[in-house]
Amino acid sequence: MTSYYKTEMEFFVDMQRCIGCKACEAACAECETNGQQSMIHVNYVERAVTIQTTVQVCMHCDDPVCANVCPADAISKDEFGVVHTANTARCIGCSNCVMACPFGVPFKEESYDMMMKCNMCYDRTSAGKKPMCATVCPSQALYYGTREEMRRMRPNSVPVNTFQFGKLEVKTKVNIMMPKGATMLKVD
Amino acid sequence: MAKLPVDAEKIIAQFGPHLNFAPQEGYIGRDEPDKVVETHCCFCGMQCGIKLLVKNNKVVGFDPWMEFPFNEGRLCPKGVQRYLQNNHPDRLLEPLQRVEGEGFKPVSWEDSMDKTVAEIQRIQQTYGNDAFAMLSGVSITNEKSYLVGKFARVALKTRNLDYNGRLCMVSAGAGNKKAFGLDRGSNNYSDLANAEVILVAGANVSETFPTLTYWIWQARDNGAKLIVVDPRVIPLARTADLHLDIRPGTDSALYGAMLNYMVEKDLLDHDFINEHTTGFQQTIDAVKDYSLEWAEQVTGIAKEKIALAAEWWGKAATSFLLHARGIEHHSKGVDNVLGCINLVLATGRIGKPYCGYATITGQGNGQGGREHGHKCDQLPGNRDINNPAHRKYISEVWGIDEKDMPGAGYTAYELVEAIHRGEVKGLISLCFNPLVSLPNNNYVREALEKLEFYATIDFFLNETARHADIIFPGSLQEEEEGTVTTAEGRVTRIRQAVTPPGQARTDTSIILELAARLGAGDKFSYSSSEDIFNELRVASKGGTADYYGITYEKIEANMGVFWPCPSLDHPGTPRLWEDRKFATADGKAHFNPVVYKDPGEVVDEEYPVVLTTGRVVSQYLSGTQTRRIGKLVNQYPEPLLEIHPELAARYGITQRELVRVVTRRGEAEFPANIVETIRKDTVFVPYHWPGRKSANQLTTGTLDPISKIPEFKVCACKLVPLRKEAPLPQDAHAYDSI
Amino acid sequence: MRFQLNKKAFFIALCCCIVTVMLVFYGSRKLQNFDAALIAYLFGTVFALFGIIYRYCIWLQRPPTWMYFRRGWQLLFSKSFVEYAGLSVQKLVRNIAFQRFIYPRGKTRWWGHFMLATGCMLAFCVTIPLTLGWIHFTMNPTDTSLYEAHLFGFKVMEFKLGSWMAFFIFHILNWCSWLVIAGCLLFMRRRLTHAGLIASQTFEGDWLPLVLLMAISVTGLGLTYDYEFLKGKTYEFMAVTHAVTVILFLIWIPFGKFFHIIQRPAQIGAHLYRKEGEKRGMAICPHTHKAFATQMHVDDLKIVTKELGFDFTLEDGTSHLDLSPEGKRAALAKAHLKAREATGKFFG
Repeated sequence: MTSYYKTEMEFFVDMQRCIGCKACEAACAECETNGQQSMIHVNYVERAVTIQTTVQVCMHCDDPVCANVCPADAISKDEFGVVHTANTARCIGCSNCVMACPFGVPFKEESYDMMMKCNMCYDRTSAGKKPMCATVCPSQALYYGTREEMRRMRPNSVPVNTFQFGKLEVKTKVNIMMPKGATMLKVD
Repeated sequence: MAKLPVDAEKIIAQFGPHLNFAPQEGYIGRDEPDKVVETHCCFCGMQCGIKLLVKNNKVVGFDPWMEFPFNEGRLCPKGVQRYLQNNHPDRLLEPLQRVEGEGFKPVSWEDSMDKTVAEIQRIQQTYGNDAFAMLSGVSITNEKSYLVGKFARVALKTRNLDYNGRLCMVSAGAGNKKAFGLDRGSNNYSDLANAEVILVAGANVSETFPTLTYWIWQARDNGAKLIVVDPRVIPLARTADLHLDIRPGTDSALYGAMLNYMVEKDLLDHDFINEHTTGFQQTIDAVKDYSLEWAEQVTGIAKEKIALAAEWWGKAATSFLLHARGIEHHSKGVDNVLGCINLVLATGRIGKPYCGYATITGQGNGQGGREHGHKCDQLPGNRDINNPAHRKYISEVWGIDEKDMPGAGYTAYELVEAIHRGEVKGLISLCFNPLVSLPNNNYVREALEKLEFYATIDFFLNETARHADIIFPGSLQEEEEGTVTTAEGRVTRIRQAVTPPGQARTDTSIILELAARLGAGDKFSYSSSEDIFNELRVASKGGTADYYGITYEKIEANMGVFWPCPSLDHPGTPRLWEDRKFATADGKAHFNPVVYKDPGEVVDEEYPVVLTTGRVVSQYLSGTQTRRIGKLVNQYPEPLLEIHPELAARYGITQRELVRVVTRRGEAEFPANIVETIRKDTVFVPYHWPGRKSANQLTTGTLDPISKIPEFKVCACKLVPLRKEAPLPQDAHAYDSI
Repeated sequence: MRFQLNKKAFFIALCCCIVTVMLVFYGSRKLQNFDAALIAYLFGTVFALFGIIYRYCIWLQRPPTWMYFRRGWQLLFSKSFVEYAGLSVQKLVRNIAFQRFIYPRGKTRWWGHFMLATGCMLAFCVTIPLTLGWIHFTMNPTDTSLYEAHLFGFKVMEFKLGSWMAFFIFHILNWCSWLVIAGCLLFMRRRLTHAGLIASQTFEGDWLPLVLLMAISVTGLGLTYDYEFLKGKTYEFMAVTHAVTVILFLIWIPFGKFFHIIQRPAQIGAHLYRKEGEKRGMAICPHTHKAFATQMHVDDLKIVTKELGFDFTLEDGTSHLDLSPEGKRAALAKAHLKAREATGKFFG
C-alpha cells in the first residue's frame, strides 16, 4: 500500500477561511480506522467576542514532541514524515502527548484509555487519495494538493511550516498559509 | 382533526424523533458495497453531488463524488451524514391510521386508500371541491412537483394547492418575474470566480449553503471585495471587506440610498439603462430623498459604510449580487429583491462573464419545485393559471377541458387562515411540516385541530403528521428516480439507490393510486419517473421555464443541463441575458420603484427588541430529517438566544441564563448566548425545533402583499430573564420537544 | 543507526539472568526436578529474559518513562499506600486480567484479545515454572491414584487421577491453545475485512504475531493429538516444530509486538499518577478557564520536555504548556489572525 503514497502532495491549512461548519469532523469520523471518532478539531476561538473558528489537523512535526514525550514508545513517524497515531498495543493512556503537543492535536479517549490523533487519513493517502477532511471542506481551509497548485490558486499567500512557541522552533510537514513574505508563525 | 389521539410523548416514543448514530465501525458491508450510486445530497439548493454506498438495499455510507462540477467532492456536515436518514429506526414502514386514545395503528393500503378517497369525496360533495386542499413541498423532485400540481387540479379538482416554497424564495421569484420576466438566478456560480465586487445580502452562506463558500473564497483569492449585509457577524462577514450590520426589516432603505448615491455620483451604465431597461426615471425619483444620513438613521449602518458600499458597487467592472431569505422573508420581501435588482440594472452588469445576480434558493429543489405548477397560481413551465392562453395549453397537455381547470387558490399561510374560517375542511400534504416551519404556529396548530380530515404522505412521522387521520409511508429522496433543479438552474439527476423499505411506497405511486381511485386514472398513466418528466418537458415547452430540450440521457451525459433549454440540440443556458433580450413582454429589463416602508411590526415600549430568526449549519428547515441524525443534533443541540452583551447587561442576563422571549403571538424560553456578533437592538433564534422550542411560536404571519411570504425575519419582542441557568444542552431535548 | 551497547542495561539484564539460573538450580532442588527434555526451552526463556530486561532498562532510561516509573513507585509507597495498592489491584484485574479498556473499542475486538491474552497468560503461568523446574508432579507414594503438584519442591496440592481436576490440569495447555486459536481467528478476520486495518497493518507488526501464536497453539495441540490418537508416531516432528515456534516466540518478545505484554502494567502507574494529581489540584487553562489536566502533570511535563530539548517557555516567563489543547489551538488561530490582519489581506 505504502508505495502509492504521493510524495508531491502536501497539506495546506488556512484557518481564516474556516467557517466552522464541522463537515471535516463529520467526515473524519466516517473513516474506517476512527470508529466514529473525529481526529480533527474545530472550535470557536472566543465565541463571546468573535465568530472565528479554527480547524486543526495534526501538523506532523519533523521532530514530533508527542513521540518524544511518549513513555511507551507508542508514537512513530514513517518514511513519508507521517506521524502515526498511538500504537494501540503500547499506548498506556498517560496523556503526555495530549498535554505536550504545541498544536493541541492528540486527545485521550477516556473509555478506551488511549490517545488518538490524526494520521493524515493514512488509509486514503497511502492509496493516493486526498484525506477526507480536505476532500469535503467546503471552504477549502483544508487543502491537499501540490505546492504548484497552491501557488496558482492563492498567489498572494505562501505556505509556511515553521512555528515559534516561545523559545522553541517547530518544523512541520503540514503547511499553514500565510501572507506573502512570511517565513514563520510566531505563537505567544 | 381534533387534538392528538394520545399524548405527544407516546407518539414520540414510537415514531421519534430518535437519534440515529452510525455503528462504531460503520455499517456492515460499507467496505464492499453492492453498488455505488452517483446522486445528490437532499439538503439545500446547492444539490451537491455525492455517492451513496448501498449494501443489501440499504444506504450504508457515502463517498465524495469528485467529478461533479459544482462541489467536486466538497460537502457540509449535513451532506456527510445524510446517509443516516436511510436505515433509520423511525422510518415509516406501513400505512397508519389515527385511533382515538391509542395513537397510530397500522392499517392496510387498501383501507387507508378507501378511507382517504371516501373522505375527500364526502368533504367535496358537502362543502365544494375547494374545501379540500393540498400542501406540498420543494424538497421533492421536479417530477413529483409536476405530478402534485396536476393531481390537485385534475384529480382533486381543487384550486387550493400551495407549497412550502411560499416560505422560501417566492419574494425573489416575484421580483425576478417583474424585473426580468423569468424566475431563475441569472448566472451559474462559476461567474463568481472573477467578480470584482460580491455583495451578499441576507444570506448566511457559510451555514445555509456551506459549499457555496468555496466559490466566494475563490473570488476573494482573485482579489474580489466582499460586502456582506447582515444583522449578525456571520462567518462570511467576519473577514469581509465590508460588513453592513443592518437593522432587520430595513433592507430596502439601504438599497435605495445606495442607488441614490450612485445616481448622485453618476456611477451608472447609461447605455445599458437607455437601451435595455424601462422605469429608470420613476425608480430614481422614488429614492431621491434617500440620503446617506437618512439611511443611517433607518438601517443603523454608519453612513460612511453605505457610501463605501455604493462606491465599490458603482465603480466595479464586474460584480455578483447574491441574496437569500434574509431580505426575502419580509412583508416587503419583493421590494427588497427589486431594490437589489435595481442596483444590478443601474450598473448594467448582467448577462456578461463575471457579472451576475441570483437569489440562493434554499430548499433541495427550491428552484425546480417552483416552476412546474404546484404553486397556487401557477401552471407548468412557470405559467400563470389566470392567463387564458396558458390555461388552454396546459389543459390540452393534460387532456382536460379548460373550464375544468381550477383558478388560483390560497397561498400556504392563507390556507391556514381559510381553515380557521371553516372554508377549507380537508387537507392532504406531502413534504411539509408547517407546525414547525410556518410562522405563528400556535395558530397553525389550532387550524389543524379544526380539520375534518387530514392525510399526509411522509417517510417520518413529523410534528404536523401527528395530527393526521391517515399517514401514507412515502419515499426518501434516495428511494425514487427523478430530477431536481439546483439553485443555479442546473437540472440534475436524482438516482434511486434503494427501494422503499417494508410496505412503504414511492410518493409517486401513492399519488397515482389516489388519482386512479378519484376517477382520473386515465390522466395519470405513467410507467416511470422518466415518463412524467417527458410530459413535464412538453408541458413546460414555450413557457419561461422551458425544459423541453432536457432529457435524462442529456443530464447524465453532461452532469446537468441549465434551463431554459427549448430544443433537443440546445446546450442549455448557464448564463442568462447574454443577448440582452429579457423575458418580459417588451424584451427589456424593468426597474421598479421601491419606496421604503416599515416592517409589519415595529418595536415599541411594550415590545422593545427586534427578533429575527434563521438557521444553523447542522439542521435543515423544519428538521424532519436532520433532527433524527445523532451527530447533527449534537452539533447544535438546542436553539440559543443570541444577544449582545450590552443588551444582556440592560436586563442583567448572564451566559446560559434562561430567557423568556415574548411576542404578541406567543412565548418561548431559550438559553442566552451572549455574543458581540449581533446588533445591540436585535436578538436571534434559529427556528428548526418543534413545540416549546419553536421560534415560530413567536414570528408573525404578516405577509408580503405580492409574494405572500410571511415576515419571519423581523418582529417585536420583549425579554424576560428567568434568573435561572438553562439545563445542559444534552438534557434540553430540543430535538423532540413537545 | 549503529548499535551501541547500553552498559547499564546489559549489567542489570545479566544480573537478572544469573539470579534466574540460580533460582532454577535451587528451585528444582539442585536439578533433581528439572526436566532435561525442556533444556531448549530453558535457554529460550533465559535469552528472552535477558532481552526483556535489557530493553526494559533502555526504555526506562528515556526521560518521560523514567519520570513515570519513578513517580508510579513513589506514589504506591507513599502514605496513601493502602488506597493506591487497592487501586492497583483493581486496575490489575480490570485492565490486565480482563483488558476492559478494549471493550469500548469493539466487542469482537475485546473477545479476540481477551481469549488471546487469557490463553497466553495461563500458558505462561504453567510453562515457565515447568521449564524452570519450579513445579513438577509426582505420584503419591502411598496411593497411586493420587497425583501431587510441587512448587519449588514443596507439595502444594493433590488430586485424583481421572478426576475433573486431573483432566483440567493435564490438558490445561490444550485449553490455552483453543483460546489462542479462537482469538487469533477473530483478529485475522478483522484484519482481512476491515478496510482501515488493511490500510495501516504491516506483516511484521500485525500478522507475524498472529501467525506465530497460531503455530504455537496448533503444534501444541499436535503433541496431544499425536499422543492420544497416533500413539506417538509423529512425536519427534511435533515436539521439534512446537519447540521451534515457542523458542522463536520467546526470543522475539523483546523486539516485537509482544513487548507490549511487558509494558502494559505501566498503565496502572498512569492511573495512580492521575489520581494523586487530582488530589493535589488541577491546572486551569488561561484561555478556556477550565481544568484540563493535573497541575503535577503539567509541571512534570515542563521538566521532561526541557530534558528532551523542547523549551516551551514564553517571553513573559509562562509556558505554552500552561494552555489546554483547545487553548493552544486558539492561540495558534489568534496568532494567525494577527499575522493576516497585519497585512490587511485574509485571502489570496
